[in-house]
Amino acid sequence: MTGKRSVLTPSLIAVVGFLTVCPVAMLIFGSFSTGLGAFGTFTLEKYIQAYTDPELTGIIANTIIFVIGSSIVATSLALLLAYLNTRTDIPFKFLFRIISIIPMMIPHILFSVSWVLLLNPSNGLINLFLRQVLGFENAAVNIYSLPGMILVEGLLDLPIAYLILAPAMASFDVSLEESSRVCGGTTTGTLLHVTLPVLRPAILAAFILSLVRSLASFAVPSIIGMPGRIYVLATHIYQSIATGFAADFGKAAAIGMSVLATSITLIYLYRYLTSEGEKYVTISSRGFHPTIIKLRRSKYPLFGIVSILSLVLIVLPVLVLFYTSLVPYSMIPSARAFSMMSWKHWLEVVNDPISLLSLKNSLFLGVVGATLGVTLSVFVAYAIVKIRSHASGLLETLSFLSFSFPGIVIGVGFMWFFVRTPLYATIWALLIGYIATYLPYGVRPLASAFVQVHSHLEESSRVCGAGPFTTMRRIVIPLLIPGIVSGWILMASMFVRELSLSVVLSRPGTEVLAVQIFHFAEDGLWGQLSALGIIMILISTSLVVMATLVGMKFKPVEERK
Amino acid sequence: MEIRLSKISKFYHSGGQTIKALDNVNLTIPANRIFTLLGPSGCGKTTLLRCIVGLESPDEGEIEIGGEIVWSKTQNIFVPTEKRGLGMVFQTYAIWPHMNVFNNVAYPLQTRKTPRNIIRSQVKKALHFVQLEGFEDRPATKLSGGQQQRVALARALVAEPKVILFDEPLSNLDAKLREETRKELRTFLTELQITAIYVTHDRIEALALSDLVAVMNKGRIIETGTPRDIYFHAAHRFVADFIGRTNLIEATVISQTEDATTVECALGTVRCHRHPGLKTGDPVTLCLRPEFIRLQGGNAADTLNVFSGQIESLVFIGEAFEGEISINDTRLFIKTEPDSNLKVGDLVHFTVDPDYCLLVTA
Repeated sequence: MTGKRSVLTPSLIAVVGFLTVCPVAMLIFGSFSTGLGAFGTFTLEKYIQAYTDPELTGIIANTIIFVIGSSIVATSLALLLAYLNTRTDIPFKFLFRIISIIPMMIPHILFSVSWVLLLNPSNGLINLFLRQVLGFENAAVNIYSLPGMILVEGLLDLPIAYLILAPAMASFDVSLEESSRVCGGTTTGTLLHVTLPVLRPAILAAFILSLVRSLASFAVPSIIGMPGRIYVLATHIYQSIATGFAADFGKAAAIGMSVLATSITLIYLYRYLTSEGEKYVTISSRGFHPTIIKLRRSKYPLFGIVSILSLVLIVLPVLVLFYTSLVPYSMIPSARAFSMMSWKHWLEVVNDPISLLSLKNSLFLGVVGATLGVTLSVFVAYAIVKIRSHASGLLETLSFLSFSFPGIVIGVGFMWFFVRTPLYATIWALLIGYIATYLPYGVRPLASAFVQVHSHLEESSRVCGAGPFTTMRRIVIPLLIPGIVSGWILMASMFVRELSLSVVLSRPGTEVLAVQIFHFAEDGLWGQLSALGIIMILISTSLVVMATLVGMKFKPVEERK
Repeated sequence: MEIRLSKISKFYHSGGQTIKALDNVNLTIPANRIFTLLGPSGCGKTTLLRCIVGLESPDEGEIEIGGEIVWSKTQNIFVPTEKRGLGMVFQTYAIWPHMNVFNNVAYPLQTRKTPRNIIRSQVKKALHFVQLEGFEDRPATKLSGGQQQRVALARALVAEPKVILFDEPLSNLDAKLREETRKELRTFLTELQITAIYVTHDRIEALALSDLVAVMNKGRIIETGTPRDIYFHAAHRFVADFIGRTNLIEATVISQTEDATTVECALGTVRCHRHPGLKTGDPVTLCLRPEFIRLQGGNAADTLNVFSGQIESLVFIGEAFEGEISINDTRLFIKTEPDSNLKVGDLVHFTVDPDYCLLVTA
């Protein structure tokens, strides 16, 4: 046993270290080189070029407003939802759980597109409705604006903030509040002076994670920002590698360096806060029931807000996409529109070789990538949870690092690497990039599965006469299956809809779904985009449904104490 | 099977310091007895048990189970846990949550490739023994704490090991269930005629269950003996204090005769049963257990070891009164009948039988 272990951790450090350190190192080298072809000659030219660009000040200002604005939207909405769900008697609580898993079903790019279809100034459905039906001549709610970007990104980051806040809220030790009541505090006073301050680490953690997410976001800035000529750092990087006569990967790397540095700083701040937070938010071991606050008169208005949110988050995007995929051009729903509906766009997509190739590539990446990713995650999680040495601490830090990776920046880093290997422009380049960027999504569920497998369960198998191999086969693996399954599904659904890394690494022949949709959007082919988008949603949704079913099947195992 | 441990040491390194988890332990555990390792938490008792079962390895020494060396530093022998053929009940029970009761109990037989029909009858026998007949198909997650404990016991017994080990198996049960299970366990083990090694920090459990008790502290075995020996004739201050409530009074030997040792202490002169090996002038500690301090209200009977003092406190705890008496500046814990009509402030006389006056030196 000890012999095998001593080899395991170093080899995992080598693999994970390659996946996470390689793109960062290549990004650094790349930023000091003149171009993809001229690697290795040190120059500051690209930094000077990138950071003396007069447009950069405006772009940075946009980025700061966009990132902070959307994080405020996401965190405050999440706080409201989490509070209503865990602490009040609001009806239909299952809606909250649905909201929390939505981003896994609807890819960010499609969510952004559906808002463009609703609110673009020339022919967005809501704008058409305002002009044609209600007769507001010049009325146009323009989605192609910073507030538009902030709203959509905020809605997209809402679930991740909710997933951090809801458990913190639920594990809150109620006696802290009760003692405030006994001391004479009112409900509102207790909320302001006790509940929120105690939850501050969790709130900050949710806010910081939203910052990291929106800083890395490419879907919203590209679909909503670029048509309105509002650039943030992510789209600025994309511009320097995708437009103009020559792609400038050196300049992209130089800008990417500051995005990556910011992101890594934020994610370590997040990690610090969550470890602090565990000290702060006390989970009482005895069975406890948080006091449920009766909402009385405000019950239904508040429920209304939640219903509208779920409508906006789930129903609207899918409906708009489906509608757009059937009508020949943008028109508001009417008898005429329904009479003109056809499967024309669907047939075009099904007969488009590039769309079919992207479908095939994305499915391959989803299935094979998630399988390889989860296999790696099993070993990494094992080393982190069960071995616990200095080396496994390093492994944890390394695997956590990629949590901060903004896809487009890390894509640029990988580009510098792949271009000098035979992997360049193959599907394997994408596969390696995906696993590197999304490794924490596999490691996390598996690490918690390993935590569940108490060492006594393994040891008692040994005492019963089973060797290490039998113990693995009969005890450890069966107990890990729920973690393996949820890690697999999580990774697979991430891979199927991956955009920001793919726009950099995807080349002719290795198109993937999200990139193809992105190209449709650039060309304004909304009908075909919607048809392909619905297919994409169906694939992601069936993966999530599979996860839920498998999760239910294994539930007794999870309920064990 | 007899178990022999010689010169077992184990070290942990933390923060540049070396901690001796086990410090040169020599121990022989006789066959077919219930042997308890008792000590405060962190004394090394669980580490010692885990070394015997093979889940940890000592750094020095030799372990022999039934004449076979299973671990030896000098001969470089290490028999892995699964080859040692022992049974063990864990503190957490370690019932596998993804299996039903039958599979949990059958597991040790399945790993030994026992034929199916024998497995079936052996499991039935084991479950009958722990009074869980008919629970075969119950999922392990649907068991109460006491039932899990019995399943763990059935699993440890099913392959008929010669030695069974217990790592604080009762500590996760509530007080009432713990008492019942303790009695049952005693009955089971007596019936089985098996070598049992039991680890606990609970002195009542140790006294009630064991044939032999070894008291451990700081990685060493301090004393080994029968429960009565340990309780009445401990040789060490630590053992006398750990095994039960006691009054410890500094004293000096003033005379040594053929049938008694007499000491001088804060109470005055106390006559104790003979402790061979003590000389006049030796510093000793007198241990008086509260239950052997006999209170006599009213006048003093004309016997040995009569003292008087004032009642400082008295608490009714149902089965008895517990309190304190002050004699000069010394306070003694006492225990007396629940129907006593003494009050705080009363002057009382009390006696201590020389047979229960224990003198310890270390």
